[in-house]
Amino acid sequence: MAEHEAIIERMRDSILEADDDEAVAAAEAALAAGMDPLAALEAGFSEPIRELGEAFNRLEIFLPQLVLSARTMQAGLKVLERALTTAAREAARKGVVVIGTVEGDIHDIGKTIVVAMLRSAGYEVHDLGTDVPLPQFINVAEQTHADIIGMSALLSTTMLRQRDLLELLQLKGIRDKYFVIVGGAPATQAWADSIGANAFARDAHEAVLCLNARARNVTSRA
Amino acid sequence: MPLTAPLRILTEDQIQAIHQAALGLLQRTGIVVKEARARRYFRQAGASVDESSGRVRLPPDVVEAALKLAPDSFVVHARVPDRSVEVSYRRMHVEPMIGRLNILDHLTHQRRRTSLQDVANLVRVADALEHYHLLHSGAIMPSIEGVPLHAAHAHGYLASVSNTGKVVKGSPRGRAIAEDCIRMAAVVAGGEDALRQRPNIFTTVNPVTPLQHDEGQTEGLIEYASFGLPIDVTSEPQAGATSPVTLAGLLAQQTADVISGITLAQLVRPGTPVWYGTCGAIMDMKVGRIALGAVEAGLINAASAQIAAFYGIPCRGTGSTTDSKALDMQAGYEKAITLFMAALGGINCLFYPGTMESALTISLESLVVDHELCGMAYRALRGIQVNADTLAAPLIEAVGPGGNFLGERHTLKFLRQEQFLPTLSNRQTREDWAERTGSATTWDQAHTEVERILATHTPPPLDPQVQTELERIVREVEARGAVARALA
Ligand code: B1M
Repeated sequence: MAEHEAIIERMRDSILEADDDEAVAAAEAALAAGMDPLAALEAGFSEPIRELGEAFNRLEIFLPQLVLSARTMQAGLKVLERALTTAAREAARKGVVVIGTVEGDIHDIGKTIVVAMLRSAGYEVHDLGTDVPLPQFINVAEQTHADIIGMSALLSTTMLRQRDLLELLQLKGIRDKYFVIVGGAPATQAWADSIGANAFARDAHEAVLCLNARARNVTSRA
Repeated sequence: MPLTAPLRILTEDQIQAIHQAALGLLQRTGIVVKEARARRYFRQAGASVDESSGRVRLPPDVVEAALKLAPDSFVVHARVPDRSVEVSYRRMHVEPMIGRLNILDHLTHQRRRTSLQDVANLVRVADALEHYHLLHSGAIMPSIEGVPLHAAHAHGYLASVSNTGKVVKGSPRGRAIAEDCIRMAAVVAGGEDALRQRPNIFTTVNPVTPLQHDEGQTEGLIEYASFGLPIDVTSEPQAGATSPVTLAGLLAQQTADVISGITLAQLVRPGTPVWYGTCGAIMDMKVGRIALGAVEAGLINAASAQIAAFYGIPCRGTGSTTDSKALDMQAGYEKAITLFMAALGGINCLFYPGTMESALTISLESLVVDHELCGMAYRALRGIQVNADTLAAPLIEAVGPGGNFLGERHTLKFLRQEQFLPTLSNRQTREDWAERTGSATTWDQAHTEVERILATHTPPPLDPQVQTELERIVREVEARGAVARALA
């Protein structure tokens, strides 16, 4: 048992220190020691990254620490995922998010922060980058069996693409498959309501809260 | 009077090192150029171009030859001749902000979306204030509250040019929008030939740092350059987020962004007037947002001015910026620090007065307060003249130990040139301040001044024929959008 605790400690430290190699090594050690991958994931990776996310939100740590640690978690997660049963994988994932900045808009930073915070909160995130054509959101969402689509727009002109994607989803008859969240400087709750998005978030922290609230609803309905 | 910039942040060797690093980046890493015509210009000049990725690698000699073609001074002609601006790397002019997404309503103090009436008011106030020269405008705004989206630039330009005799800025956002702005400026100038000879419009083109030139803005660059209209190529790195966190790295990357854009402008039309532009700042790593009022922004501006002067090109930068949401102490010290570092560092076109909240919001009162700061910056730039008259040794001798200078002609004679007379700062006693102004704060003073200008200032009207023709173009642009929607 002491060995297991020591491994969890190594995993935690690898996240806090953003040491990718150590995260991989510790995850491999966990599997070699016959630990339950789901439990190891939760205690060794998810918990510390959540703590970092909360610390960032309290203005206690710097953004690059969070971004780097979220990347470390991805590296360690890959090792554990191999060992997860399909059922365990389902249980582990809080949601799969496909996210990007819409067509015609190259503002990158806000979306990148949202991505880091969502990853730190345990979401599987596919970041499509900037200037993303609307069909690409849908194609990738379908391919990755995503449940959430996130669109960032920083211009009052490109904000209209958020509406267009919702219309496109309607047209294809797949609107109900996705929880759609929108954000960016010109967007507001009223705008999100008027285009029929599921959620609007003012900042990255709020985006996590919105999606967590959704996850709770989904679980309680199931 | 030519100005000398007393603030030196970089040594000559450091400037060389930044320049060489930028050339190295352009040659080895290259830039991504998303516009096909621009890639053709670069290829014809001898750059290696990968069409599939858009990556353009620029040999140093191509860049250096182009930089030599950019003029060190040029004139932007105003509709009212004495408002014309002689841009040079030895002068400072101010470009107040006009078009922002939000405005802090001067009556309710609430933030709301900027409307066409706001644009008209902002321009009118800037028209009345002497230290404002090159006006940002409604044409730049992607959207204006209450105006059809596809015609925002045309409405924005008209609302601006009809409320000032000063130079008004146009938008580069895509070929059609650029063409519309240039067409409207040509009407004001008295035809396309007149516009080419006497440019009365300028624009900003933003490379997408690091090392990218996007399609829309590059289309705009080509349109403005082919008319020989002045362009500031302005990179907006945020240290630690979109550039290295080290300011030296930021300057090298920014320089690569900017001089590749300037190279394109010179390839399109040799001699195109340009500014080396910076909107460099840092990201605040605890909140994850841009910090435009940071002291580092001041350093970046002063250093950028030195780099531009090394190229013999005027520099456009930022000052009077703040991340504060109110016109409070934070706004005061951030605006003062950024403005003074930029001005004393040698920025030639100083952009951003009038803004608050990291330039997300504009305010009429802020325009007035920042104008006062600009007046102080001009005073600081004039420095201290030392000669027999100003040393005044005979006068000191005449007054003698223990005397005073209040009754001396010398005092009256040199008073105005030596001392800046503030219009907003209150220097009365507490009692007088309370009795005469009702204990007015800076905001109250600025607000009164805004009201006064809006009530009394009449900008020089447009020639009625010009006005009619501009209105016709606005209607045409509006109708074009309606047709596009009908066909869609
Ligand atoms: C999916 O769920 C969600 C949930 C929450 C989400 C979300 C998604 N996405 C965001 N959020 C939220 O969470 C994030 C983290 O807390 C937040 O993200 P934000 O992105 O809001 O905040 C970031 C952390 C920091 N913010 C930023 O990084 C943006 C900063 C400002 C200064 C800005 C920058 C830096 C740039 N710009 Co641009 N730029 C401005 C911005 C003004 C400002 N002060 O914000 C803005 C957005 N720009 C504007 C403009 C006009 C433009 N820009 C342009 C270009 C650029 C640069 C390339 C120079 C650069 C971008 C660099 C980059 N790699 O991203 C041009 C457009 C290019 C294009 N096609 O997109 C150009 C058109 C300028 C021009 N010369 O023509 C303005 C838009 C105005 C409007 N009416 O829409 C602008 C508001 C400035 C202004 N005050 O006018 C929340 O909004």
